[in-house]
Amino acid sequence: MSQFDVCVIGAGPGGYVAAIRSAQLGLKTVVIEREKLGGVCLNVGCIPSKAMIAAAHFLHRMQHDAATMGFEIKGDVKLDSKKLQTWKQSVCDKMSGGVQQLLKGNSVEIMAGEASFVDAKTLQVKSKDKTEKITAKNYIIATGSRPIEIPGFAFDEKDILSSTGALALDTLPQSLAVIGGGYIGLEIGSYMNQLGVEVHVFEANDALLKGVADPEVVQVVARKLKKDGVNVYLKSLAQGFTKKGKQYELKAKTDGKDQTFTVDKILVTVGRKPNSDQMNLKGIGLQIDEKGFIKVNAQRKTNLPNIFAIGDIAGQPMLAHKASHEGVMVAEIISGKNRVYDAKTVPAVIFTNPEIASAGWTEEECKAHGHTQLKIGKFPFGANGRAVSLMETDGFVKMIADAKTDVLLGVHIVGIEASNLISEAVLAIEMGARLQDIALSIHPHPTLGETMMEAAEATLGHAIHIIQKPLTMASKTSEQLTKH
Amino acid sequence: MATKEIQLPEIGEGVTEGELVRWLVKVGDTIKVDQSLVELMTDKATVEVPSPAAGTVKELKFKEGDVIKVGGTFVVVDDSGAAATKSAPAPAPAKTTAAPVPTATAAKAPPAQAPAAMSAGANNWAAVQPPPMDVNVLATPSTRRLARESNVDINQVSGSGLAGRVTRDDVIRSQGATGAGPAVYAPPRVEAPSFVSQQGMEVREPLRGVRKKIAENMQMAKHIIPHFTLMDEANVTPLVRMREEIKPAAEQRGLKVTYMPFVMKALMATIREFPKFNSSIDDAAQEIVSKKYFNVGFAADTPNGLMVPVIKDADRKTIFQLSAEIMDLAKRARDGKLKLEEMKGATFTVTNIGSVGGTYATPIINHPEVAIFGMYKIQDRPYVVDGQLEIAKFMNFTVTCDHRLIDGAEAARFLAAFIKRIENPGLLMMDMI
Repeated sequence: MSQFDVCVIGAGPGGYVAAIRSAQLGLKTVVIEREKLGGVCLNVGCIPSKAMIAAAHFLHRMQHDAATMGFEIKGDVKLDSKKLQTWKQSVCDKMSGGVQQLLKGNSVEIMAGEASFVDAKTLQVKSKDKTEKITAKNYIIATGSRPIEIPGFAFDEKDILSSTGALALDTLPQSLAVIGGGYIGLEIGSYMNQLGVEVHVFEANDALLKGVADPEVVQVVARKLKKDGVNVYLKSLAQGFTKKGKQYELKAKTDGKDQTFTVDKILVTVGRKPNSDQMNLKGIGLQIDEKGFIKVNAQRKTNLPNIFAIGDIAGQPMLAHKASHEGVMVAEIISGKNRVYDAKTVPAVIFTNPEIASAGWTEEECKAHGHTQLKIGKFPFGANGRAVSLMETDGFVKMIADAKTDVLLGVHIVGIEASNLISEAVLAIEMGARLQDIALSIHPHPTLGETMMEAAEATLGHAIHIIQKPLTMASKTSEQLTKH
Repeated sequence: MATKEIQLPEIGEGVTEGELVRWLVKVGDTIKVDQSLVELMTDKATVEVPSPAAGTVKELKFKEGDVIKVGGTFVVVDDSGAAATKSAPAPAPAKTTAAPVPTATAAKAPPAQAPAAMSAGANNWAAVQPPPMDVNVLATPSTRRLARESNVDINQVSGSGLAGRVTRDDVIRSQGATGAGPAVYAPPRVEAPSFVSQQGMEVREPLRGVRKKIAENMQMAKHIIPHFTLMDEANVTPLVRMREEIKPAAEQRGLKVTYMPFVMKALMATIREFPKFNSSIDDAAQEIVSKKYFNVGFAADTPNGLMVPVIKDADRKTIFQLSAEIMDLAKRARDGKLKLEEMKGATFTVTNIGSVGGTYATPIINHPEVAIFGMYKIQDRPYVVDGQLEIAKFMNFTVTCDHRLIDGAEAARFLAAFIKRIENPGLLMMDMI
């Protein structure tokens, strides 16, 4: 029976990172994966969806912006969706292959197979041709989550799709119903729309991305969806469907009214649930909460000694970068270092059109944490030279700071490259920066990054490239203006 | 045969090691719980360390002059015959420890919980030491990590940075600090010029123990406090006469009365008039702390270096009582037998360097006090009275103040009021309690 210092179960962005760091620290490490290295993120999540979004955005720009810039495109731009799939798959394979090289280069043993606990100290790994048992001094459970299925909409991944199936379609449907207006539904719905698919989004709440993003930010995306011809139905519940030839008739009750829609395919994106019902986790006495997350403490220890859990299975937010951060931390804890999960913020990015990104707290959360007086300011991409030259002027950067200390508490961005801009906000919040720290850092011109500096200035009441009313300059002493 | 390793328990706030003065037991001795095992010199005092266990001494791990770290095994006993050990409590604190040591340092005890990850018990698996940072605390990620690796609960550190941010230096200062006591001062990191060594012409020894503590305290006080010293002289002819007069009465009580208790008495009365001299600055909170108690420290020269024993509630003691306490504390200071708490809590300090020599000095204030008073040797000096030259007994006095709180004019008024009292010892009666 093979013995290890560390056994990582699941090679997604939490697991493979934990395995590499464990090996770096000199621990004999094995990682077990039942599907592909890189997990959901690299194979059926973050990476393939970004490839599809990049392609769709490219097409959209050719169809809409190219003419303004002086291009004349003779005839239609044709998309070979099979080739698109091939390219997308090559991106995923490249990334997954990279993970394999990194694991091997760090002398991590890779086992392909389905793991299950025999007891709290022993694991059974079932692969195609054999079943073997291994033991490890420490286990890191990083087995992630899967799409939630709703009754009556069992996934066949041909017509009734989860995100996994939707990303793998090598023929685009004419029309698509998206059940659930969360971030996964909107990302896929948006790119499908840009690729020419008729899209209907059914959201049970009275707003898209409710509780996920700043309401003002969501408004910009909602407006853009409408402009691009995406049909969004709020307070709407899908009731069921019937097959009509090659198509489906979907019944939905929107704001109390029954409607039917005829669509080619149905995508269900109502959230993800942790894979805690697998691997005999309950059988060995692991504590699991009512939402299905493994109960962990701030060091990601479970109730069983020497068993840790990280990533989606260990609680919200279910984001790859949180999982990776935990992976590094747990590996170091196992090696004897004192670590704890004490990050102030986990940034969130949503690749809608335009993108949404946020770090820190919303207005409501600031108040809940005792910051009753706030400074809030916005700077629009329309006033940024780089954004104008890119013809991407929708959206803004919004900052929220404590009014007394000017310490930055939250940043919410909607607009071009929001996903890349947010990292500066994360650093600022982790460092405990004040608005002045951002405003006084020279940002290069002409870049989108200037919007961060200007938003900080705007929140202080004196941005340069927008006119802020009331015109406060006259009433402010020079001391007030320069006081940083 | 069951052997038990005995680790050096916490022996005082901020004390991390001690130098072995002498063993009080030897191999083969049968010892009882709480019996003193060893005499250690720490940077604060000499302490006797009691045994947490009973049994027969098997091994003494150090020899005289060695430095023993808190938490390190220093004695091995065979406790197979001693059932009593089972009920013995966890290592009893050393006799001189003033207060139980709070959790911050207790958590340092290494063997039990070293890799925190490994020791999750059944009930408390969720607890993490130190606890994670609260969402509203401001500190950079690397500072958070420094705090954790130094076993400092960052939530308990008061931040000195903008908007209350906890800085790296704040954490460094908090290391080893305990909830109740002041933070251990970390000297500012100034690049010291490199020391040019003359090979073979020097003897080197480590800076440690009392000397190290004196060095740290002096550097800290000089770094924090902007000092200034005011000097004056007083005609103490009547005081000298008075002391001569009471000498026989004192001797009957077995007391040797020096000038120190008279000076203390005059100081107590003067401080009552100028309460600022009995205050402190709480640097962290940026507040002035006025104290309603009067504990006077006095500098004592000992073979180990400077010690400052403290007379508690000096304002409520008679000259005879003060004399008796000074004699007792000074003797025990010289013998290295002072207890830690006998060197704590001073609100004001007097130094009598004049008994050794020198006409004037500029002493260093004992932080967090805000003044130190100096008295010097008595000399016959000529002086002019009504145009006539006369000879009288004079004594020099200095008051050294923290200029952040006390201005020059105030110090001058204080010193004048003191001199008025010491020149007229009869007046002291008027202020007596």
